[in-house]
Amino acid sequence: MQKQVDRLHKNAGRAWTRPASRSLLREIKKNGIAYLFILPAMVGIFAVILVPLVQAIVISFKRYYILDILREDPPFVGLANYAAILSDPQFWYSLKITIWFTFACVALTMLFGLLIAILLDQDFPGNNIVAVSVLVPWVIPRVASSILWKWIYDDQFGILNYILSKIGLKSFASFPWLARAGSAFWAVIIVVVWQSVPFVAVSLLAGLKTIPNEVYEAAEIDGAGFWQKTTLISIPMLRNLITILIVMSTIWDFKVFDQMFVMTEGGPAGSTMVLGIYTWMMAFGRLQMGLASALAMIMFVLVMIVTAIYLKLLMREETL
Amino acid sequence: MRNPRSGHRALLKYAVIYVAAAAVMFISLFPFLWMISTSFKPTSETFTRIPRLIPKNPTLDNYRMVLGETMIPKYFLNSLYVAILTTALSIIVASLGAYGFSRFRFPGRSPALIMILGVQMFPSQVIIIPLFIVMKNLALLNTHKSLLVSYTTFTLPLTVWMLKGFFDEIPRELEEAALIDGCSKLGAFTKIVLPLSLQGIVASAIFAFIGAWNEFMFAMTFINLEELKTMPVGLTSFFGRFTVEWNPLMAASVLFTIPSLVFFALVQRNLARGLVAGAVKG
Repeated sequence: MQKQVDRLHKNAGRAWTRPASRSLLREIKKNGIAYLFILPAMVGIFAVILVPLVQAIVISFKRYYILDILREDPPFVGLANYAAILSDPQFWYSLKITIWFTFACVALTMLFGLLIAILLDQDFPGNNIVAVSVLVPWVIPRVASSILWKWIYDDQFGILNYILSKIGLKSFASFPWLARAGSAFWAVIIVVVWQSVPFVAVSLLAGLKTIPNEVYEAAEIDGAGFWQKTTLISIPMLRNLITILIVMSTIWDFKVFDQMFVMTEGGPAGSTMVLGIYTWMMAFGRLQMGLASALAMIMFVLVMIVTAIYLKLLMREETL
Repeated sequence: MRNPRSGHRALLKYAVIYVAAAAVMFISLFPFLWMISTSFKPTSETFTRIPRLIPKNPTLDNYRMVLGETMIPKYFLNSLYVAILTTALSIIVASLGAYGFSRFRFPGRSPALIMILGVQMFPSQVIIIPLFIVMKNLALLNTHKSLLVSYTTFTLPLTVWMLKGFFDEIPRELEEAALIDGCSKLGAFTKIVLPLSLQGIVASAIFAFIGAWNEFMFAMTFINLEELKTMPVGLTSFFGRFTVEWNPLMAASVLFTIPSLVFFALVQRNLARGLVAGAVKG
C-alpha cells in the first residue's frame, strides 16, 4: 500500500517535469485504440466533406465550364468569379430574398412552435392526441409535402381557394398562388414553416417540462396571468434553448432547396430564386462550376458565421 | 379553481385551450388527410367545384395505376435499398466512432467532436460540385454507390452525436467488470455497450433512414437513369409528366410517406422509454 502511494508520488513528480510534447505523444500512444474506433468516421468525413470543401475553394478560382473540360484544363482566373457574382444583380436579389425568406420562416416557426409547446404543456384531456397530430407535418417527406401543397394551392380545384371563397373571400376563387411573385414566395414559406414547427414545438415542450410547477404556482399566488407567466417565466427560463433553435432554424432555412425547387423551381420569372437554388442551377443548369463554386463559397461563409455562433452557444450548454 | 370565483376563469381557460387545440390539429392533419382522400378519389370527384373530404365513390384505381403502370414501384425499391444500406453503414461507422468519443479522453477529441458538429451545418451546395466531379471521374455517376457514400457520411454527424449521448449513459463499471474478466476492449463494446444501447441504436438508425429516404438534391444531381432514380426524384419527374393527374400523384405520395410514418411511430415509443435505468436497476 505504502509502495503504491510512493509510486504515485514519483509519477506525479515526473509528470510535472516531463516536456509537454512528450506527454502529448504518450497520451496519443496510450489512447491508440481510441483512434482506431473513430478512424472510419473521420476518414468518411474527410473524404466526402472536408476534401471536397477544399476542392470547391480551388474551383471557385477557376473558369470551370464543364463542357470546356473535354478540351483543356480549367484555367485559374483569380477573383474573376467573385467579381462577376458581386456585380450580378441576380445575386444581390437572391441574397436579399434568401435573407427575407429565412427571417420570415424562422420568426413564424418560433412563434407557432412556442405557442404549440405552451398549449401542449397544459393539462387537458386529449392532450396526447394533439401532441401526436402536431408531428404529422414533420413525418411527410419534403418532396411529398411540396407536391401535396401544390395540389392544395391549385388555382382551379385547390382546396385552399375553395375554403377561402367559402368564407367570403371571393377574390381568391381562382387565385394562382404559385404563379405570382409575391404569393409564390409566401406560399413556400407557409409550407416550410408547416414542416419546421413540429421539431421546434417538441424541443420547446421538452424544455417547458423541465420548469418546475412550483415556479408557476408561486407566480399565480402573486397574481400572474397567462401572459406574465409566459413572458416572465417560460421564455426567460428557456432563453438558451430558444437561441439554439433560432440559430439552427436560420441555418436550415437559409439553405432551403427541396420545397422551393419542387414548388416553384425559383420562378415565376426568378422571383423565388433563393441562393440554394441559384447556386445549384448555376452548377447543373448552366454548367458554370467555377461561378457556382464561388456562389457556394459565399453561402458557406454566411452559414459558417451563424454556425460559429451556434457552436459557441452549444458549448456553453453541453459538456463535451 | 381554488375558490369559486375562479371557476369562470377555468372554464374560459378550457375554452381557449380547446379552440387552439382544434386549430392546431386541423392545420397539422388536414393537408395529410387531403392527400389520403385525393388518393382514393376518382378523377371526376377531384375536378369538381364542390370538393369533399370523404370520397363518395372511393377507388383503388390510383394505387393500381401507380403500382402497375408507372416506375414508382422501382423508385420505391431503389429508395428502400439506398436508405437501408445507408442506415446499416452509418450505424456501424457511427457506433465505433461514438464509442471512441464516449470512452476515451485523447488529444484532439474535442476539436474532432466540434468539427463533426460543424460539418453538419455545411450547405450541400458547397460539397455537391466537387463531389459531382469526383463521382464523374470515378465513373460513379448513375450508380447507387455515389448516393451510399454521400448519405452515409452526411448522416454521421447526427448518428455519432446521438449514439455518443446514449453510450455516455451506460455506466463504465459494467465494461470494467468485463475487462477484468478478460474481455477485450472491442469485446466489451460489442457484448456490453451495444446490447445495452439497443434503443439508442434503433433511434439513430431511424433518423439515418429518414435522412436518406428524404434526400433530394444529391439524388437528382448524381442519377438521371430512370431505373436507378430514388423516390423523391422519381416522384418529381412523375409530377413533371402528370402535372394535373393529382389522384395518382397523391397515391404515390402516400406510398412515399408510409415508411417514414412507420419509423417515426417507432422512434416515438423508443425515445420515450427510460434508457439505461432498466439495465442498472433490474
